[in-house]
Amino acid sequence: MTSPHEWGARLTEHLTDAGIDAREAHRLAADSLAEAEDAGQDPAALYGPAVTYASTIAHTIRAATVGFAPLGRVRGPVVLRLSQVTKRYRRRTVLRGVDLTLCGGEVAAVVGANGSGKSTLLNICAGVTRATGGTVERSPRVGYAPQQHGVAPLLTAAEHFHLFGAVHGMSGRESEAIGAQLSQQLGWRPRPHVIAAHLSGGTQQKLNVVLSELSRPDLILLDEPYQGFDQDSYIDFWDQVYKWRDAGAGVLVVTHLLHDLERVDHLVELPRVDES
Amino acid sequence: MTGQMRQQWLHGFLDLSLLALLADRRDYGLGLVERMSAAGFDEVPGGTLYPSLLRLEKQGLVRTEWEPSTSGPRRKYYELTAEGHRAAIERTQGWEDFRSTMDAVTAFTRAPIGEQLS
Repeated sequence: MTSPHEWGARLTEHLTDAGIDAREAHRLAADSLAEAEDAGQDPAALYGPAVTYASTIAHTIRAATVGFAPLGRVRGPVVLRLSQVTKRYRRRTVLRGVDLTLCGGEVAAVVGANGSGKSTLLNICAGVTRATGGTVERSPRVGYAPQQHGVAPLLTAAEHFHLFGAVHGMSGRESEAIGAQLSQQLGWRPRPHVIAAHLSGGTQQKLNVVLSELSRPDLILLDEPYQGFDQDSYIDFWDQVYKWRDAGAGVLVVTHLLHDLERVDHLVELPRVDES
Repeated sequence: MTGQMRQQWLHGFLDLSLLALLADRRDYGLGLVERMSAAGFDEVPGGTLYPSLLRLEKQGLVRTEWEPSTSGPRRKYYELTAEGHRAAIERTQGWEDFRSTMDAVTAFTRAPIGEQLS
């Protein structure tokens, strides 16, 4: 049996984990406890388990803020332009004539069946893979978070921040501070001395995303995590995408899951690759 | 089956129900649950009610106030803002439109009043 005090402490903790500001989390927990006391009920009986309730109200708060975001978005300059991009591996055509113009302040989603070349397209946008035909123009400040091989298993989060910050000429202290701040926005507080291999899959993906944003890029290329960051806070990933968009970045997301794509500006649907 | 269906429907209309009850008079959480039950709904669980109230508060439709009590613990009261009153009227209109559409769609399967009793 959880005591009301313990339930409140858990609620605060889970809310903070879900990215709710610590002061607001405390206030929400205190209010919930007081309302339960007034109702003469145990908080666990009134609201359900702290972890579930935290995820519900975190979602409520985010949805309320996202829904009321300013409507008049500013579209920036073009950050990515693909013209008739083609990719062939020997005789097998993986991508055929892909076109896309993505501006700052816009989101593009790439959808398609497994093996339709989604990751190949992401790699071509990042400049990691060469296109066989067509042209790719992109902004020089690119953040890139692939689904795999994005993190070094034996380095800690702070070491990753140092390493990636150095590439952009940031000091160690600076990159660590920005890395910690970005992590917190994703509801994650990296612990010192924990190497990436020991992080959960969702947390590794958070690290990956933080690294892609470390240099404040104006083009962000992402592979959507299969499970979201945390199993029950799937919405966090897309909330973050729209925050970057509203901050002026162009975001390209490879998405594997079917969901509400109404809010994206561009949809790139890749047809199934002919196996012939 | 019917219970589950009613619960899902209520989920979609809980915000409007709360706005309408609060338009009548301000209330505290448990008071709202009791008024919902008195109106004929199943008891609304706290895990559903309070997030809904929080959402309305975040949307600026509801404001809250803690009031000390002489007998027991302090009590949190919910009250509509001017914006909330406007939303209550607007959403009620929306619900009425929806209801008449639904009535039209289900006209064929609706039993005449005399037959419902048999």
